[in-house]
Amino acid sequence: MTTGEITISDVSKRFRLDRDRPSSLKEAILRIGQTADIDDFWVLRNVDLHIEPDSFFGLIGHNGSGKSTLLRLIANIHRPTTGEVTTEGRMSALLELGSGFHPDLTGRENVFLNGTMLGLTRKHMAEAMDDIIEFSGIGDFIDEPVKIYSSGMYVRLGFAVAVNVNPEILLVDEVIAVGDEEFQRRCMDHMHRLRENGTTIVLVSHDAALMRSLCDRVGWLDHGRLVEVGDPDHVIDAYLAHASQDDGDTLTARD
Amino acid sequence: MLTLSPSARKSVNLIIHFAERESKARYKRSLLGWFWSFANSLTTVAVYSFVFGAVYNAQPPITDNGRAENFGLYLFTGLITWTVFTGVVTGCMGWLQDVSDLRKKIYFPTETALLGGAACNAIQTALEAAVLLVIMALFTNISWTALFLVFALLLTMMFALGIGFIVAVLNSRYRDIQYLTGVLIGVGFFLVPVVYPPSLLEHNDVPEIARQLVTWNPPAIFVEIARDGVYFLQTPDPLRVLVATAWAVGTFAVGWLYFRSRSMEISEEL
Repeated sequence: MTTGEITISDVSKRFRLDRDRPSSLKEAILRIGQTADIDDFWVLRNVDLHIEPDSFFGLIGHNGSGKSTLLRLIANIHRPTTGEVTTEGRMSALLELGSGFHPDLTGRENVFLNGTMLGLTRKHMAEAMDDIIEFSGIGDFIDEPVKIYSSGMYVRLGFAVAVNVNPEILLVDEVIAVGDEEFQRRCMDHMHRLRENGTTIVLVSHDAALMRSLCDRVGWLDHGRLVEVGDPDHVIDAYLAHASQDDGDTLTARD
Repeated sequence: MLTLSPSARKSVNLIIHFAERESKARYKRSLLGWFWSFANSLTTVAVYSFVFGAVYNAQPPITDNGRAENFGLYLFTGLITWTVFTGVVTGCMGWLQDVSDLRKKIYFPTETALLGGAACNAIQTALEAAVLLVIMALFTNISWTALFLVFALLLTMMFALGIGFIVAVLNSRYRDIQYLTGVLIGVGFFLVPVVYPPSLLEHNDVPEIARQLVTWNPPAIFVEIARDGVYFLQTPDPLRVLVATAWAVGTFAVGWLYFRSRSMEISEEL
């Protein structure tokens, strides 16, 4: 495999919605021998996807279609129930508010912790620190515990770390939408620059215009299945047509 | 450290990070910091010495040179070993709980959090052991057999980590486990000859099964090896050393394998 490559082969992910899962040992013991009332919920089914190194890939789909779960599987946070996900290269992920930050540690300590988790040396992180503080614009708050940060500060620091660790793969899950216009623009600029330096980027977003302008290819997830993959304009048009048709159906049903 | 693979180096760095964090978190905002860990064990020794030595007039076993015949020192030796066991087992549950939110958002080998916590515990134990050795040296009751104290503490650490790995995973699912563990540790304290010498059981009315249990349960063996080395200054019974090593290595291996097989599911627990 080449650096920056992501291969997802026949991946399915099941979450157990165990409605009355025993939450205490007593319940668990009392229910030995009874059949458990387990609902299996397949978030992803048989997803096959190959993301080329050095490309900008977008994922679209309605809420609950499995986009974020797919990103988590790529980030190795969850393990697929069946199938296999393989990635090559240093991966940096910005999955949700405060991703990878420990609330009690200061911003600076969290930057070091993040770097360590990505396999970078303290020296490397110390060198990147000024850029990170500058880019995030959080100033003196860098030495305050991140639990007192506003959501905007969280995201700005998160993004600043994610892009300043020289990732070979960058996963971004809509979070940048939390930042203000100015910050969003800087994020876009930075992603462009990373892209030019050969970073593979996977972006989840609902912003059709943004996806059209940034992505080389787009995948459309619907109820855990990958419906279409290909040219952004083509896939996004198909998705939007489908979405408005759904809306129409709901409206008709309501009438 | 010369030729570690990148992933091993990353794990080592994470262990160091978690160890540092644990030591900072433990005495955060306390002026005297590490002093409290000494104060804690010294008060325990003082209180038990008073209750068992002065009030009940328990006779401490005679040391090698007969000069350190002190119930407090006898107790301290056992207590160091026992607190490694309880500290690491209960610690593991907390250390895993501490990083569970983080692990839902970013991948890292989860076992590094437990190993880091244990490393911090090891440093604190080393300081306490140093205090014990200095006191023993002042009583001129010291010999090369003190190495068996180090050996016993290492075995205890491995054994405790093995159990800690298992209870930490179980506790992430059933929060009862931490309370259950607390109760069992309370009972276990009296199954291990820490506050009493094992000779106390050479009584006719002590059932044989209780005697065997106290003689052969793993923490008790570790305590006895530590005492042989640093209090009686004698080489421990080779059979007991062998059994102790088997318990420590075996338990660690089982716990480690169990933890590794379940560690990816931790991010899916609520």
